Amino acid sequence: MSSWRQLELHPRIVNALQKAGVQSVRDALCMSGPDLQRLTCLSASDVRRLLTAAALLCRARRPQPVLAADDFGLRLSLGCPVLDGLLRGGLPVGGVTELSGESGVGKTQLALQLCLSVQYPARHGGLDSGAVFVCTEDTFPSRRLQQLIREQSRLRADVPPHVTDSLQFGDRVYVEHAADLTSLESCLRRRVRLLLARHLVRFVAVDSVASLFRSEFGLSDWLEKTKQLLTLSSTLHHLCRQFNSAVLCINQVTDIFSGSEEYMGPPSSTVRPALGLAWANQVMVRLMLRRLRGTVSRGEEDSALRRLEVVFAPHLPRAGRDAAVWKEGVRGLDGADAPLG
Amino acid sequence: MQRPVTTLRLSPQIKVKVLNAGFQTLDDVMQVSALELSREAGLSQEEALEVLQVARKEGGADGGGAGDGASLTALDLLQKEEALTRIVTFSSRLDAALGGGLPVGKITEICGVPGMGKTQLCLQLAVDVQVPPCFGGLGGQVVFIDTEGSFVVQRAVDLATAAVRHCTLLAEEAEQRDAAAAFTVETILSNIFMVRCHDYVELLAEIYLLPDFLSSHPKVRLVVIDSVAFPFRQHFDELRAQRTRLLNGLAQQLISMATKHDVAVVLSNQMTTRLQGGQSQLVPALGESWGHAPTLRLLLRWAGSQRQATIFKSPDCEEATVNYQITTDGFRDDDRSEQPPSKRPRTLAGQSAAC
Repeated sequence: MSSWRQLELHPRIVNALQKAGVQSVRDALCMSGPDLQRLTCLSASDVRRLLTAAALLCRARRPQPVLAADDFGLRLSLGCPVLDGLLRGGLPVGGVTELSGESGVGKTQLALQLCLSVQYPARHGGLDSGAVFVCTEDTFPSRRLQQLIREQSRLRADVPPHVTDSLQFGDRVYVEHAADLTSLESCLRRRVRLLLARHLVRFVAVDSVASLFRSEFGLSDWLEKTKQLLTLSSTLHHLCRQFNSAVLCINQVTDIFSGSEEYMGPPSSTVRPALGLAWANQVMVRLMLRRLRGTVSRGEEDSALRRLEVVFAPHLPRAGRDAAVWKEGVRGLDGADAPLG
Repeated sequence: MQRPVTTLRLSPQIKVKVLNAGFQTLDDVMQVSALELSREAGLSQEEALEVLQVARKEGGADGGGAGDGASLTALDLLQKEEALTRIVTFSSRLDAALGGGLPVGKITEICGVPGMGKTQLCLQLAVDVQVPPCFGGLGGQVVFIDTEGSFVVQRAVDLATAAVRHCTLLAEEAEQRDAAAAFTVETILSNIFMVRCHDYVELLAEIYLLPDFLSSHPKVRLVVIDSVAFPFRQHFDELRAQRTRLLNGLAQQLISMATKHDVAVVLSNQMTTRLQGGQSQLVPALGESWGHAPTLRLLLRWAGSQRQATIFKSPDCEEATVNYQITTDGFRDDDRSEQPPSKRPRTLAGQSAAC
């Protein structure tokens, strides 16, 4: 990292540091003043000067007043006004969002939909960039993606046709496969990172985070599992922050046994997201997709009724919207199309 | 003065040299000049000067009774304690349980599982500390250190709007009307100094520089770190050995900052599971020794479908549990019987009802 020469310090101080073997600015900041003084044999005021310079180098900018106009927080639209309304505009850009739900409820569908909506220009809720989809459990559902692309004009009736037609959706969805944790980690750190760095993508979907952890660790490996979870989450945080992108992690669910894990709040169903508290602490927005009883129909099409719920988020209330999965994608239901019992 | 030189804030090498030269107490040191001291003890002139400066500063404080290290009687402390300003939480029950709100000059930690409302309470306090004095607030500013990326401007606007509406409704006298007119969402936002720290080194750097910032912004009455756990729980391997030491250092800096600059320090902390005798138990993260850092610890948790806040470490309030809810407007009492902060009785009368 940053060497001592970068700092505007007296050569005497720099020499003392090098002699004492204090390698980097980070090392110095992790030492207490008296420790540094003993190691480097500098006087107290020199050590103070040194620490201030080091701290200034580490700090990107001093505390700034918040401005309403600043940026209201960039959002990635889901491509449906009802669901965007629930999320106050969409997925937060620069944060990790988790989507959990039972198998077959439509998690992957929603992730695919986001892979397309990210490609729209900003005025249509997108980020004008591509998406990378990391599969860990299944093969990539490319046929469904093609179908979604064909039906885009139907889902996004609000977007002028010439905009939708001009987008080459299929070319801007990158697919990665990772069969174990090591390859997932290296995929994120190398390939996904490269895609983000070249501005080819600004949306990362991981489908799913749970499968690898659930297959690779038994109950006794609890500590190692936590460690790996934290490593993965810090990689994801780093990526979405550095490249100002949105990250969606798909998670599985586990059954709730009576009395267990009641600390996580009133259950909205009989299941809850997998991977426990260690993972939950790392997530900014937690969403859950549930299957409800009943179906909705629209012309020829039928869909099982679902509900997208916000479990927690710093800027959203606990709420939900009924939704259905159609040919063109996942859409929230407004008052008009009421579910049939 | 008979204070031994070993108690001075000096590096050990200097102390040894001074001691070896026969200087035992502060008196001994203060009788000589810097030149003499450097010759006698074999110190450089600069070091000798530093010894004398430290000795004068620390010795002088003791003698004069006015400086930092002055000793106070319990009565002085009591008066100081009573004069202590507090930040209201907009939940009258929690305020009552806390004895009028969150104490300025102390460290408060808010613990809870994700989704409990830690960030919401932090944001609420960031807005509340700005309530104009004529409404019973402090009219202060706030430094908000965000380590998780959970500071969403949209949400801050929600809370600010609600607080502004509240004060506008309450304004009766001319003074209050004027204050309410100046208390707008824009001013509230511009009084929140936001800084984003991405890892523990950045956090340590920020905390190291914060005293300077506070000196140049004397109106700051609240420093929020949301959360302190996040940066220290990542980089597992890199940190393991030195985490406790770093946290202890951090706690010390925060405590001295809180008292010296008269600010309230509010930290949020995550929860973690600890296995004990085959039973898993939820405890605040960062370990046992960190538990000594905050003066006050608040635990937010679910009781069925009810949100509850428990004061579980406090030197002066009883352990109490109150119900609360998170509304669009922010952190509130659960029965919606919200009282204006200025008219709330500042006694402990509400406490029995709240328990």
